[in-house]
Amino acid sequence: MSILKVAAALAAAATMLHLAPAFANRAEHKPIAARPVMDYTPPPAGSYALHVIQRTPEGAVIGGDGKPHQLSEYTRGRITLLSLIYTYCTEPTGCALAYETSVLLRERILAEKRLHGRVRFVSISFDPLNDTHYSMQAYGGKYVRADGPLPWHFLTTASIKVLKPILEGFGQEIEVEVDARGKPTRTISHMLKLFLIDREGRVREIYSTDFLHPEAMLNDIKTLVMEEDGQRH
Amino acid sequence: MSIRLERTKVAAIGAFAAMAVAGAALADETCNSPYTTRLIKGQEDYVHVWTLGVDGLGDGSDKLVTVDVNPKSKGYGKVVHTLPVGGRGEAHHMGFTDDRKFLWAGGLDDSKIHVFDVGTDPSKPKLVKTIADLPQKTGFVGPHTFYAMPGRMLIQALSNNKDHGGVTGIAIYNNKGEFVAKYDMPATEIGGAKGDGYGYDLAINPKKNVLLTSSFTGWNNYMMDMGKMVKDAEAMKRFGTTMAAWDLKAMKPKQIFSVPGSPLEIRWSLNPKDNWAVTATALTSKIWLIKPDGKGGWQAKDVATIGDPSKIPLPVDISISADGKGLWVNTFMDGMTRYFDLTNPEAPKEVYSKNTGKQVNMISQSWDGKRVYITSSLLANWDKKGEDNEQFLALFDWNGKELKEKWRVDFNKEKLGRAHHMKFSAKPAAKKAAAAESVRVAAAR
Repeated sequence: MSILKVAAALAAAATMLHLAPAFANRAEHKPIAARPVMDYTPPPAGSYALHVIQRTPEGAVIGGDGKPHQLSEYTRGRITLLSLIYTYCTEPTGCALAYETSVLLRERILAEKRLHGRVRFVSISFDPLNDTHYSMQAYGGKYVRADGPLPWHFLTTASIKVLKPILEGFGQEIEVEVDARGKPTRTISHMLKLFLIDREGRVREIYSTDFLHPEAMLNDIKTLVMEEDGQRH
Repeated sequence: MSIRLERTKVAAIGAFAAMAVAGAALADETCNSPYTTRLIKGQEDYVHVWTLGVDGLGDGSDKLVTVDVNPKSKGYGKVVHTLPVGGRGEAHHMGFTDDRKFLWAGGLDDSKIHVFDVGTDPSKPKLVKTIADLPQKTGFVGPHTFYAMPGRMLIQALSNNKDHGGVTGIAIYNNKGEFVAKYDMPATEIGGAKGDGYGYDLAINPKKNVLLTSSFTGWNNYMMDMGKMVKDAEAMKRFGTTMAAWDLKAMKPKQIFSVPGSPLEIRWSLNPKDNWAVTATALTSKIWLIKPDGKGGWQAKDVATIGDPSKIPLPVDISISADGKGLWVNTFMDGMTRYFDLTNPEAPKEVYSKNTGKQVNMISQSWDGKRVYITSSLLANWDKKGEDNEQFLALFDWNGKELKEKWRVDFNKEKLGRAHHMKFSAKPAAKKAAAAESVRVAAAR
């Protein structure tokens, strides 16, 4: 779908519908998604390699402070778990699952002091027309943190035009679903992916729904920490 | 001992003049990578056929042939698009990227990987990239299976660029077509059996973190004239006899299984409650079951015979039903399409068979199991000769009891080439909705 078509479809959907964040203020977070089954013991952290899959793209984003920033400010210098979401997504195996998995992982990371200050979470909106930096902060609720042991940044962009190269860089296509009359609905079709990025800004793992196993993801993060610390496998 | 046994069997098989072994994988909607999104659970609109060019037939080039398969379309059962890639590189298999937007198609001879955009307009695929550095980056040749993982593609190769034998490996490329990593197939003893270093198919069970691989043969054999090969006793010894279970996350082989007779396609049951896979062995005509061993590992068991192995039916492609209760098996030599009841995977039973062509290879079923597509070509130098060299894509309806042919596209008559691997596609939802609307408007007038 072209930039103009995506923008037009999103604008049409936004004017037709009241797009309050589906999970605004997630402070009262409750498990809402059926988790993918994990019936194995993951290999120990540091016992395997995470190859460089691709580089992260650069781009302009709007931070929690409402000011413009370079995306690289959020993908370099720390191990980063990055997700692409939109605030009114209701797909239980989509954004909601990504959010819930991140929350679970956050708890595990905070429980291990040696990981403090080594990791950050980043969530970027698919829909800059609806998701202002205010609504993104509302979506993040109590988990919004700009610093501390585990920052979690909720970002948006200034426009579809600015967002598109970021999505393309991550290999993340989106389409606004239409109804039988060809009119845009409230659903943005996208493939759920979370990106694990090393401190050099290189994607080292990508998790789609079937891979959202917090235990294995935690070991991946620890593997990158060990790599940074010179404890390679 | 298992190697000795296999050699004995291969030698016996080699005595038969009419002999071939299959190349086929990941054929259909029920056999895609579990990481591929947008499975088509309704009516597919198009079938794309990766077709081997034939010298003197049409343009002679390998090509992607697109056939309209929607019965509501005026082009139903017709070729609506052809996309030659130039030259003949032994077109073989294809696989979707995780987002199902692109189709990667490999050449077993030239080791090129053509990337087609089938997401933008599946009625008119476009060639957007050709990856030609597989041998240079990995030392492997003959890219066979293309298996999507998030943001990247696992590529199981068949051979290597040193001796063109069967020792090979797995390559990973990202979705942009850039090389990421390589892994050699296991050639040492692991868990009581020795790996042969060969490769063929691969398939993943995400919830168990396991990758299964099977084994075939190298370039020297799959590019050799089949009649010549079966008379070459040494060549006939060089077929895979193993499968391997890998730790997927670590990409490390954990177990080797002795599976004599060249185990080919691997199909995991798609039933969420199941944790087993099946394969078929080309040379020994058996179905094998791979399942947990109760001790935290896996085991491989011979559970059924396909046809009469002494007549060398040569099972090639297999297709498992979405509920894991049935398995289609094509046998190349006798042109038979067989259906096995897999209700008890420990004891599959053949419950139906039909001759569907003079030679049949790939078989692809729709998600609901009601439609079964079949193509004819195995390998350019292994296909039958003369009048037996039928080349086609055929659609059959399956009502649970009988296959009824709906139509057949003659790839010789249409001057297209040898019809090999198939993949389904559907029109983008927006266009589909618009089309439905226009139909309603037209009806109202």
